[in-house]
Amino acid sequence: MDGTFSQLVMLGSSGMLLTALIVLWRKGIPAYVTAYRWQAWLLAAITGTVAYYGRDPRLYWVAALLLALKGAAIPALLGTMQRRFGAQREATPYVNTETSLVIASLLVLFAYVLARPWMAVTDLPTRQGLPLALGLLFVSLFIVVSRKKAITQVIGFLMLENAIALLAAVGTRGVPLLVELGVFLDALMGFLVMQIFVYHIHETFNTIDVEELARLRH
Amino acid sequence: MSRYIALFVQPLLALALAPALVGFIRWLKARLQSRRGAPVWQPYSEIRKLFGKEAVVSHTASWLFRATPFVVFGTGVIVASLAPIVIVPAGPLVVGDVFAAVYLLLLGTFFLALAGLDTGSPFGGMGASREMTVVALTEPTVALSIVALALNAGSTNFSQIVSRTLAEPSAALGPGHLLAFAALFIVTLAETGRLPVDNPSTHLELTMIHEAMILEYSGPYLALIEWAAALKLLVFLALAANLFMPWGIALSLSPVAVTVGVVSLVSKLGVLAVAIAVLETRVAKLRLFRVPELLSASFVLALLAVMSTFLVR
Repeated sequence: MDGTFSQLVMLGSSGMLLTALIVLWRKGIPAYVTAYRWQAWLLAAITGTVAYYGRDPRLYWVAALLLALKGAAIPALLGTMQRRFGAQREATPYVNTETSLVIASLLVLFAYVLARPWMAVTDLPTRQGLPLALGLLFVSLFIVVSRKKAITQVIGFLMLENAIALLAAVGTRGVPLLVELGVFLDALMGFLVMQIFVYHIHETFNTIDVEELARLRH
Repeated sequence: MSRYIALFVQPLLALALAPALVGFIRWLKARLQSRRGAPVWQPYSEIRKLFGKEAVVSHTASWLFRATPFVVFGTGVIVASLAPIVIVPAGPLVVGDVFAAVYLLLLGTFFLALAGLDTGSPFGGMGASREMTVVALTEPTVALSIVALALNAGSTNFSQIVSRTLAEPSAALGPGHLLAFAALFIVTLAETGRLPVDNPSTHLELTMIHEAMILEYSGPYLALIEWAAALKLLVFLALAANLFMPWGIALSLSPVAVTVGVVSLVSKLGVLAVAIAVLETRVAKLRLFRVPELLSASFVLALLAVMSTFLVR
């Protein structure tokens, strides 16, 4: 029973990590939005699994909220954003694709090393997801710093938020509904503020390439 | 004694099935692109036709050129006898493990590249240099995904890996297993010259890799190389299927077990062939400069697979 539980959680966590790697690998913004949607669904599935095996019915609510907000609403908003800017591609990121993939794998390795003492002291059945969640955290931070388009950076930030939620799901036996609600609101507010910023960047500079921000216009 | 029979019968079966696999993928692709498509047994007729033709060899070609088809075909047959295709070759008789199989196939590729350079035609050299680029990038992935499998089983022996997965089915759902499978699948596409990396259905294009190397071959030589290429595809797919999902494979030589083994092999190959045909219909060939990105992605998958099996103990 615990074996299946930890396998499922580990599977879902590695799936979430893979969606972050897809963002590093692909170049089109629609692919990023799809990757984010998949990640949110996996996160909801993991939360549902934790609720089922941990016998915590309130976590089902959290999973449903995750599915509605991160799995449907935010991807839809991202899609609108992407359509408004037209076909913008992450053509020349600061770090090229091959190097960023290798760096991402090193970051995951680092996460494994970092999570080792933590995994040694805890006896949670979900502890094998800890290094993967930490790895997702580092990889999404790396997406934020290594990509040039503002919308990719926003997606990186949202993935960072997902990573923290995953860490909470696997590092504890789920977070109380009230705390989750607060985090949801914060994430949504943060996203809306960032959306307004991106629109302004686009209006002022006619591009969402953050490199252009160094150029004085006014 | 029975093990010897298994070792001799298995490559014969693989040789017999290989052209049908290629023909099936081609037919399915044609249907998916709403063409009628050649029948599944078309590759058999092609091979028979090529065996009946005269071989034309360039004056500048050395013995390497003539030896290569036999090396390529021979290594393919040896690997087909070592690998768990229908029967798991258990016991102390078998010398080969995963490393032997993979590097025997690599030996064939190496000779093919040499033969491509041998005649001095510009196409051959181009194909050889590209093939070496791709192979150099796939090798780390192959080695790492093997290590991921071997770490799970505690051995690089085929029968140990297979029996370990059979004994512990939940391990097959583990991320190490799945990631290594994904990595090996991408590598299979690259090594057998399938679509995102190489286009198997073109003969004269500047982007070709495998076809460019074998452009100078004709007649029986070409038949051997084509057959060996089909065999390589079958062996890679059978390895991917049986190392990761070994259910149905024959553990003994009883008629029932062998029949189940053949049926399960054919159905697994069918599923993978459908996956390849759908993939090849959906994606376009990658530009040569984007191939390293795909292969480094598969490398990262394999590395993650090793990490999740090695560091979480």
